[in-house]
Parts: sequence; structure tokens; C-alpha cells
Amino acid sequence: MKTVARNAPRNDTARVLCGWLGSLLVLVLSAPSGAARAAAVPQSMDEQTKAWREIATLPDFWQGTWQSVSPIADDFPTPPDYTPAALDYVKHYKPVEDSPFANCKPLGLPFVMNIGGMPMKFFQSPGMIALYIESSGMTRFIHTDGRQHSERPNPTYLGESIGHWEGDTLVVDSAGFAPDTLFQLGKLDKKALAQGDPSPLSGVIFGQHGPNLRLVERMRLANFNTLEVQTTIFDDSVFKRPYSLPPRRYIRGIERRNEPQEWACTDNRDYFDPNSGKLEYNVKDKAQSR
Amino acid sequence: MKHSDSNGKMWLRSLVIGIAATCCSSVALAHHSFALFDRSKLTTLSGTVREWKWANPHTWLTVVVRKADGTDEEWALVGSSPNMMSRWGWNAADIKAGDKVMVDIHPARDGKTIGELHTVFLTGGKVLADPGGQTGEALAGGPSDLPTKPQGEPYK
Repeated sequence: MKTVARNAPRNDTARVLCGWLGSLLVLVLSAPSGAARAAAVPQSMDEQTKAWREIATLPDFWQGTWQSVSPIADDFPTPPDYTPAALDYVKHYKPVEDSPFANCKPLGLPFVMNIGGMPMKFFQSPGMIALYIESSGMTRFIHTDGRQHSERPNPTYLGESIGHWEGDTLVVDSAGFAPDTLFQLGKLDKKALAQGDPSPLSGVIFGQHGPNLRLVERMRLANFNTLEVQTTIFDDSVFKRPYSLPPRRYIRGIERRNEPQEWACTDNRDYFDPNSGKLEYNVKDKAQSR
Repeated sequence: MKHSDSNGKMWLRSLVIGIAATCCSSVALAHHSFALFDRSKLTTLSGTVREWKWANPHTWLTVVVRKADGTDEEWALVGSSPNMMSRWGWNAADIKAGDKVMVDIHPARDGKTIGELHTVFLTGGKVLADPGGQTGEALAGGPSDLPTKPQGEPYK
């Protein structure tokens, strides 16, 4: 080996042969573990180099941050096909003036993608895409190593996310949600609302999702500076058929002010009064980190 | 004439604020109460800062206002998040207890001495607008067209 290495620069034939043999060796060695999946986590320097080169060919979700320009609540332009239990819930739903989240507890998917005051940022390394959502100070981990969902994922606020690319679209499939992640079942008819109600949340029907909630998000660049995320909700205890939401839009920011920041929720004086359906402020006892 | 002119402007301003509150507030006001504050109204407070809390989910500015009858009144004013505000030029060190400030707020509907921060005017001339209620485009793009003086109805 030593001799070959020393002679190689002066001997083209030997170098080519050596390179070819080396590549063959890598192929033979990697075939069983890689299982012909380009997305798998690289096990060697060569595989890693290749994986990073592949990342460089993907649509640029990575540069800068993404600021939501969509309304906070989802629109349900076509009436969902509710299960009898969900239909009963929707029929008896009393609209509230404020959003029922007023504490430091994370919201979880799907609604965590809707809170738009602060941007999100994508990161990637071979086998994983991470998405930092500043408005909740949480990071989503999207596995792109070709794995399947766990048989029994433990319940979490962000679920278990597995992604793959379909052309220029990142398709993210998530399941395994904690029962208390904030969930929007639909939107009340405008007629049911008080006239001139300024709250974008007043017509929103929040409720419980089912244990089988699964989300499929299709993320793509509508143009270089606009990210679109279209979500389809699978929840057999709420919808008879999966419900496809209209896409949400995010714009790219590359200035310093658009950079991600920490978000630690430490001084909460808000609370939601379930009796009045309103947010109130506890200015007497000051902060309560609920 | 002058009086009716200013009334007309006031009406226009209320309308503009009302429209802004109705159509453009959806992105940034997730945490805020829509029930408590009247976004069609602006009130100007002049007072002394008692507390300036730079923390998530909201900043809080407590201002002591001396009323015309000589009594002091404490106002608790809620701002948007430090994250949003820092992107709009705010710094935690801009305000400290003891500072004299003028503040435009959206007052509480029920007359309590609480409000939602709109714009703070510091004695040095610096003007800080709260990005709460702005569109996503404005949040990403930074503030524009800052007022040079308070726009609200003076509180006495």
C-alpha cells in the first residue's frame, strides 16, 4: 500500500486502477448495510461525501428563515366529512373570543406550524432534517433515512416525523401525538360570529384529536423566496375521510433581524378563562409560568 | 372648522386602525386577547416607568400615571414578545424604571388600567413601535412610517 501510494502521483494507470478497485470495494462493502437506499445515514467517509453532495442538489429550504404570511387559523373551505361524534361536538361548539392557549406549554403539531409571529429555520445533515420553530422554541426532527414509523411511537407534542423527497417536494409523515396538542377541527360559519369580530381566532373550532392522528405535510418552494406547506389530516375519530387543508405560506428572510432567536417562556401573566372564553391577564400576582 | 377637521382625522384614524385590526392582525397576535382590548381606540399615557419586563411570552411595561386630580394610577401594559420586538428595533436596555415615557396604547374595553402597547416615545426622541398585529411581511421586513409624536387621545 505504501509503495502504491508513493508511486501513484507518477503513475496514472496505477492511480486509475487503484481508484477503481477502491470504488468496487466500497460498493461491495456498503451494499448490504446501505440496502441500496441513497437516503440512509452514511457509514463511511465516501458515503458521507456523497450524501452531502446530494443534499446540495436539494431545493434550498436552508438559507435564511421562514416567516409565516398566512392567517393563524386554518381555513376549511369545503365542509369536512365529520364522524358522528365530531359532528355533534361541532354542532354544540360555543365560539370563544380568544385562543385557548395562553400558557407556556408547547402547542404541538399541527397548530405549532400556524403560530406565525416568529420565523422557522430548517437545518439538515444526512438522514435528518431539523426545523426550529421559534414561536414555541421547539425543534422538529424529520428522519430522512428511509425508516418506517415505530410500531408504537411514544406520544409527543411534535410526533414522530419521517420525510422523503418526491421531486422537489419534501413529504413529511407524522404520527404519535400527545392527546393535548392543540387541534383545529374546523371553522364556524361566518354567520355564527358576532358582526365585526376582529379576532382571527373567534371562528375557530378547537377540540381533541384522536389517538390515530396522522399528518402528511407537503413542503415545497413555490418560488425561491416562498415556502408552501400543504397539510392533510388523517384522524378517523374526527374526519371520515382525510381532510386536505389549503397550503400555508412562509416567506424567506435573510437579514440579521430574520435570524433565529431563543424563545424561552418564563413570564406568563395570561390565562384563558374557560367560562368566559376570554384571555385575561394576571397583573396582580405577576408572572406564573404555567 | 379646526375642531371638525381634527374630528375628521380622528375618524379616519379610527377607521384605519379598525381595518388594520380586522384584516391584518392574524399572524402575530396569537397570544393576545382580542376580548380585553379595544383596537379601534388609541389612548396616550404620560408617566414614569415602574417596571419593564423583557420576557416571553410578553413584555410588560408598568407605568405610573399622575392624574389631573393629583392621584397616581398604575397601568399594566402588555407588549408582544421580545423576539418580535427586537426585530423591530427594541432593546431590553431602552427602558428602565424611573424613565419618563409617553405611550400609545389600546385601552381595555372595561375601563381597567391595563392596555396593549402600541408605540412608546422615549424622552431622548427614540420611538418604538410594537410589532403586534402586523402582517408577516411587516414582521420580516421591519418597521416603517413610525409616528414622531403620540397619536392617541390623551389620558387625564
